[in-house]
Formats: sequence, C-alpha cells, structure tokens
Amino acid sequence: MPDALLQKLRTTVGAANVLTGVELSPYVVEGRTPEAAIFPGSIEEVAAVMALATEVASPVTPWGGGTAASVGMPAGRPGLVLGLTRLGRLLDHEPGDLTATVEAGITVEAFQTTLGSRGQWLSLDPPDAGRATVGGVLATNACGPRRHLYGTARDLLIGVTVVTADGSVVKGGGKVVKNVAGYDLPKLFIGSYGTLGVIVEATVKLRPLAEQEELMSVRFDRLKDAGAAVRAVAASDLIPNAVELLDGVAAGGAGVTAGSPAAGGVLVVGFDGVREQVDWQRAELARLTAPLGGRDVRPLEPAAWARLGVAARAAFRAPAAVMALAVLPSQVAELMEQGAGIARARGLASAWAAHAGVGVVRSALASDPGLKDPAALAAVLAEWREMARAGGGHANLEWAPLAVKSQVSAWDDPGAAGRIMERIKAQLDPRHILNPGRFVAGI
Amino acid sequence: MLTLTDSKKQELRRELESIVGQGAVLSDPDELMVYESDGLTLFRALADFVVFPTSSQHVSAIVKLANRESLPFVARGAGTGLSGGCLPTEGGIVISMMRMNRVLEVDYDNQIAVVEPGLVNLHLSWKVGPRGYYYAPDPSSQQACTIGGNIANNSGGPHTLKYGVTTNHVLGLEVVMPDGEIVWLGGKTREACGYDLAGVFVGSEGTFGIATRIVVRILKKPQAVKTVLAVFDAIDQASAAVSAIIARGLVPAAMEMIDHLTIQAVEDAFSCGYPRDADAALLIELDGLAVGMDVQAGRIVEACRESGAREVRTARTEAERQLLWKGRKSAFGAYGRVSPAYMVMDGVIPRTKLPYVLRRVNEIVAASGLRVGNVFHAGDGNLHPNILYDPRKPGEEARVVEAGAQIMKVCAQVGGSISGEHGIGLEKADFMPFIFSVADLALMQRLKSAFNPSGLCNPGKVFPTKKSCVEVGPVAYRPHAIEEKGLAQRF
Repeated sequence: MPDALLQKLRTTVGAANVLTGVELSPYVVEGRTPEAAIFPGSIEEVAAVMALATEVASPVTPWGGGTAASVGMPAGRPGLVLGLTRLGRLLDHEPGDLTATVEAGITVEAFQTTLGSRGQWLSLDPPDAGRATVGGVLATNACGPRRHLYGTARDLLIGVTVVTADGSVVKGGGKVVKNVAGYDLPKLFIGSYGTLGVIVEATVKLRPLAEQEELMSVRFDRLKDAGAAVRAVAASDLIPNAVELLDGVAAGGAGVTAGSPAAGGVLVVGFDGVREQVDWQRAELARLTAPLGGRDVRPLEPAAWARLGVAARAAFRAPAAVMALAVLPSQVAELMEQGAGIARARGLASAWAAHAGVGVVRSALASDPGLKDPAALAAVLAEWREMARAGGGHANLEWAPLAVKSQVSAWDDPGAAGRIMERIKAQLDPRHILNPGRFVAGI
Repeated sequence: MLTLTDSKKQELRRELESIVGQGAVLSDPDELMVYESDGLTLFRALADFVVFPTSSQHVSAIVKLANRESLPFVARGAGTGLSGGCLPTEGGIVISMMRMNRVLEVDYDNQIAVVEPGLVNLHLSWKVGPRGYYYAPDPSSQQACTIGGNIANNSGGPHTLKYGVTTNHVLGLEVVMPDGEIVWLGGKTREACGYDLAGVFVGSEGTFGIATRIVVRILKKPQAVKTVLAVFDAIDQASAAVSAIIARGLVPAAMEMIDHLTIQAVEDAFSCGYPRDADAALLIELDGLAVGMDVQAGRIVEACRESGAREVRTARTEAERQLLWKGRKSAFGAYGRVSPAYMVMDGVIPRTKLPYVLRRVNEIVAASGLRVGNVFHAGDGNLHPNILYDPRKPGEEARVVEAGAQIMKVCAQVGGSISGEHGIGLEKADFMPFIFSVADLALMQRLKSAFNPSGLCNPGKVFPTKKSCVEVGPVAYRPHAIEEKGLAQRF
C-alpha cells in the first residue's frame, strides 16, 4: 500500500484507528493478511475511507465482530479491512413505537441488554451474540432457533443506511414498521456479505419480551420418528418459537441429551407467551410426540438456546467443514440420515442439526487427523450439496479450509438469477472493490 | 409517447393473437377504456393493446415482442390499485394476468402454495381453508385484488400488524424479466441462494419484471380469535390506548381506528352498533391459542379503560364479531352516503406520533374547506385519511390533491413514510423527495437498471417525473367499475 494512501487514511480516521503490520493478526483470513485495518468513528469517515479506496481501487472488507469472516472466498487481492466497531451506539429507541435505530457496530448482546431492560427485544438470536454486530448479522443474514416464529432479518429490518462503493451515504426503507415507498433496499443488503455496500446504520422492528419462555427436549430412538414429530407439531395448534431437530452427535454437541448419549434424534421445541400458554403447549407437546416414540420430555436450561444454533459444529473440537443446507421442512430428517450415511461411507463422522420447522440444516464433518487429502472432504461436501439440490434446495459452505473450497465452491449455483445478481453488483460496485470474489457467482 | 400507424397496429395485433390466440387481444378504443385507470380514477391512460396470456411462455413472448418494437408494457391484475401503478402511461401493451389465476400446487406439509399471479387473494384462503389454513395478507380489496398485484405493491391489510405484509409471505417467484427471459428468484425453501432477489422484487411496482408463478406461505388458522371494540369520547384517548396496549407487551393481530365522521357514516348506512356520538373507536383483534386468550383480552380492556375508554365491548359470538368488522370494512362504501366523492390517502407515522398527526390532518383538511374521515391501521401507524369532496365544484379536487400533499409532508416530517401499502405509482412519484435524497433515489435507479435496463417495463412510475406525460393528469373523480359493483373499497 502506498504510504501516501496510508497517510490519508490516518488523517481521515486518526492514526490510532489505522492498524498495520503485526496488529493485523486478528484480521488474517485463510492465511491472507490485509494491508491495513481502518476503524472510522462516524458515517462521514466511512464515506471518506470508501472514497479513498475507490480512488485506488483497493478491495475493502467490511468487518463487524469477525464471526463470519471466513465464510465464502477470501478476497483475491489484499486490501483494507473496514472495521465498524467504533460505530457502536444505540441511536434511538422509542418503546411505544417498537422500533430502534442502531449504528452497525453495536454487538447484538449489548443491544439486547439495553432493550431487555425496557422489556423489549430484537427477535433475532444469532450465534456468538457477544461478538457479532448488528451490521454483521444483517450482512450475513445470521439468525438462530427463534426464527421459526419470528423470522429472519428480512422480517425485522425496516430501514438501513449504507455507504456505497463510491462513498455515497444512502438510505433505504425508513423508521416506520410498514412502508412501501421506493424499492425495498433493506432486502438487497441483507445477506449480501458486504459486496454491495457498507451497512452503517439499521432501524429494526422490536417485540415485547415474552413473560415466559421454555425450551423442551424430546428424545427419539430413531431420527425418522423425530422427523415425524416435527410434522406433527407443524400440523398442530401449537405456536412454538423454535423447532429444532438434532441427531445424536449434534445433540451431544449442544448438550441437550441430559447425559445419555446415543439417541437417534432429539427434538427441541421452544414456547413463549403467558404462563397458561406455555403450560398448555408443554403438555400438548408430550401428548403429540408420545405415540411417535418420543420420550423423556424435559425442560432445558436457558443457556441451551445459544448452543442450538451451533450444535453441529460444536459436536467436534475442530470440524473439518460446516455446511448449511436449505431444503423443504418435510425433507429434513431423511436428509440428515442420508447425509450422515454419505460421510460414513467415506469413513467420516458428521453431526447434523436443523431449524427443522423451516428446513435449514447444518452439518459438520469431523476432522480426521489421518486424512490429509482435502479431496475426500470435498467429495462428501459435493455429495451433500447434490442431495440438497435433488430436493429443490441448495447448500453453502459455512466453513472449510481454502484447500477444500478450491475444490467444491463455497456457494451454491444461483442459476439464471446469478446474472441479475452480477448486474446488480456491476451497478452498485462497478470497480468491484467490496469483498471482490467472496460471494456467489464470483461476485 | 409513440403513436402506431393503423397498419402497424393491425400487424402487431395479428402477431399478439398468434401468441395468445384470438379473443385474448383488445385494441378497440372502447374496449381499451376499461383498462385506462385503476382504483385511483384520478389518472387515466390508454394502452394500444390489452392482452390476456395464459402461460409464462405467453408473457415471455409478448415481452420479447414489445422489446423488439420498443413498446412499453405493464402487467395488470384486477386493477384495484390506488396509486395508478398499472397505467400504461406511455401507451403500449397492458398485459392482463387475469387468465393466469390457478392454484398450481398446495403443499400442506411444508405450508406453501404455488399460485399464478391472477389468482384473487381471497380465493387462495378459500382453497386451503377446508384444511385449516389461510393466506395471511388481507388487503381490504381481497375479494377482488390479485396476488400478483399484491406482489407489485407489497400489499398489507388489517392483520399485517401481527403477520406482516406480502413480502413476509413470499418465498419465491418465477419472473418474466423485462427482456423476456424466464427466471426464478428464490424458490420453495426459506433461504435464497445469493442476494434476496425475491425480497427485492416484491414491492417493485411492476418495474422489475412480471411475476408468473409465486410461492407463498400458507398459515394454520389460529385456534381462537377475540375481537374487542373500545369506544372513546376523544380521539387522542384512542391514540393513547394504542400506545398503552403496545406498552403492555401485547401485539394484537389487528388494531384499527375509526373516527367520529366515519362512525356516523357507517351507522347511517349499515347500523353496525358503533355508538354514534363517539369521537373514535378502536377495533382490536387478538388471535392465537385459546388458552391465555382471556388473560390477554383482559389486559387490552384494562389498557383501553386506563386511556379513557367509556365503553369496552367484546364480541361474544362470531356474528357479533362479523358485525364489528363490517363497520370497519364498509367504511369506504359508507362515505358514499355523505359525500359525492372522496380520495383516500395512505401515509405511515411512528405510532407514538398519532395524536399530533391526526390533529394536523384535521387542521390541513379544515383549512382547505373540506371534511375528512379517518379509518386506518392504528396498530402500525398506517393512516388512511379520506378527504370528502364534490368533484362537480370547480377547484375542489385540486384542493384535495394539495391537502393530500401537505398530509404526506407531515408524515415525512415526523419520520414516517408516504406510503404504507398503496404504493407510489404515478400518484406519489413526485413526493418521493419528501423522504428520499438524490443519492437514495440514484441507488434505486441503479437497481432498476439492473433489472430493467431498457426502461420499457412499466415506465413513468415510482421515480419523480419531469411532468412529461401530458396525457396523464388529475381529472374528475368517478367511481371505478369494480367499486361500483361493490367488489373493492378504497382502504
């Protein structure tokens, strides 16, 4: 990086907020070190940094808590890490409106803590809430088990402020819960992995905290029966806020087996509401699942919630790869069994956990110290992807070593829609400086 | 606007007929007039052709033909829109989706349905109702409006307070792109691969392409429903009750406000049992599990009473519930009894600003020498002031339009939006700068260019115009055909 540029960056954000050299170690992704990490203290500074980066066509990687930094492909050429953690304020919270506006760098946990003290919450429960930032959660479309009832970022984000590649500050949406004026820009930036702009502010819908919340687990000897129980719950009058299905390995990883491993599958269901509602639903869950082979219905401690979203990867000390598969909810149990069989056939252990009610499945491959050939891992992952595609779904790698990602692409093929995505990218970031090459279709 | 010669028109008509068949192309001016406006009859524009495709391939072929001839085109559903969004402002082809109205697939296990865009909203709920399911977005024109039209406008309705608007219920769409290519955006799964193009498409007001198949979520009908009517002597108290309910941690399925003028009109017309002397009433609906419902209803009643409600009534039977809803849903028809015409506004404000904004609305309309009735989705701050006027009186309509612009400015000033569910279309294109900067609009234009680079797909909408379309402009109000038949109301 030219000294002149570095000097300009230091002048823009303050020398203390420009990291170089050994200070960059936390920002090394896949062994690739950025040229500098810049931490602007205001939207104007973000805009100035982007304008400088555009001038020299330097790649920029927006960075929140870094919890999803290794998702997708690393930038093809080194560039700047643009850290948002100094933009960490809660700007506005009007409890009567059930909305709040935050800067992108606030952590989910800090935001929830403040909201909680006022009886409200953002109904998103992504993993690593202590580190994950709101901006990062939006950019990666992260969520957790409660998405079953409360949806994902697309259902909650009502306004967004973004700094585009050329340094313009652009707003989409607004501050009201219902709004059809103009195109739905919030949807565009959710899950765009920093390839279209840098999210700097967000306005979200909130919900009142439920009076009671309870997480129940039900054990099954066969995963298939647990799958049938998922369908029974879906067809019932229950209004669960989470419906999770874990195979025996992942259940161990999430610590929901109550000390007795080797279950075929564990169904975990969350309920919230007033006491009468939670009580009735708990009993109804037991009644519905018993004829299907469900037993040992028991409440889980509240700490189990946070473990559910990472159950598959937590099953192994250092998983060799983690995949996220989106399929139809009715396919989940069968897909989990089939996928474990595919890995087993190649001598590999795997763990499977799903937001079963919405058909989002995560699988982790155990690392085998004896296995040096990434091709074997890649083969399993490719078969898993084929399995998801066969049922009309798709699968993306959430984590894998670069050697594996060079053999099986991190992202699934978006098909003909990929061309529209490329056109959008070309319109919004014509010089391809925002996370170049990281996302689907080589975007 | 380009003009076609008679011989060119004949040639194009024959070509369109070769695509969709005879009896599926209109080009006679008398027939075209039926399609000159939507539910907002303030604007009118004549197409050169109206065509009725029955397949995605038809739509694709029509769009390719339009591209070849550089003819603008626009998709149209039932024509119940309220912003002029489906008008052929530059002539060209109106592509009516009304013959593509099938439910293609219902998958109860996965709680999704695949439908064609011309399907009437309510017909989907009829289809899946016997199995205990329904389609949640419930625009007030749901007896007539189509799911495709709902996609274009990202339509809402009373129950979107709890269940969200159209975009929250759409998983994927097959779209004929503005160049004629058929592409799937999203699909049947809950997560898209890559950018959320389905999410971007919904609410794009027909400017990003034409949806030809739509995957929507269907929901289980709630076990129980409870409907409460709270009556107030001052509209400010009713506004305060909205906030008090939210502050108690309750999210009703719907929370609708009906003001004094509207109550009187409704009672004159239909006798729904609203107290005629009330300044305002709140219609609040809870749904969900049967157990715990009474506890929650009790809290609603308490919040209303503490806010000053003089009477809080719970519907004891389904008939009573239907009667209360009739008062809400027939409000627009009832205005017809007290005024020769009215124009419905659509703006959104933060809920906590309701008292201030309602006062300003009344002041603005009074200063114009007109009357206003308010009936709206109070729970999510979506206002619908209805300005009553007489189109035969010279200048009155212009005053309505001017008052509407001022109301939109107030909504913008308090941090709100200029449309909650009716869309921008033609009506509000020039109001966009009230809430969006030049940079905001420039980014939206770039997004539009990615989908619709030629600009032939529904031109002249959403973005501020240079007032170029001289054929289009305010003209006297007259009821739309479907309104006269009682199929749609202006919510």
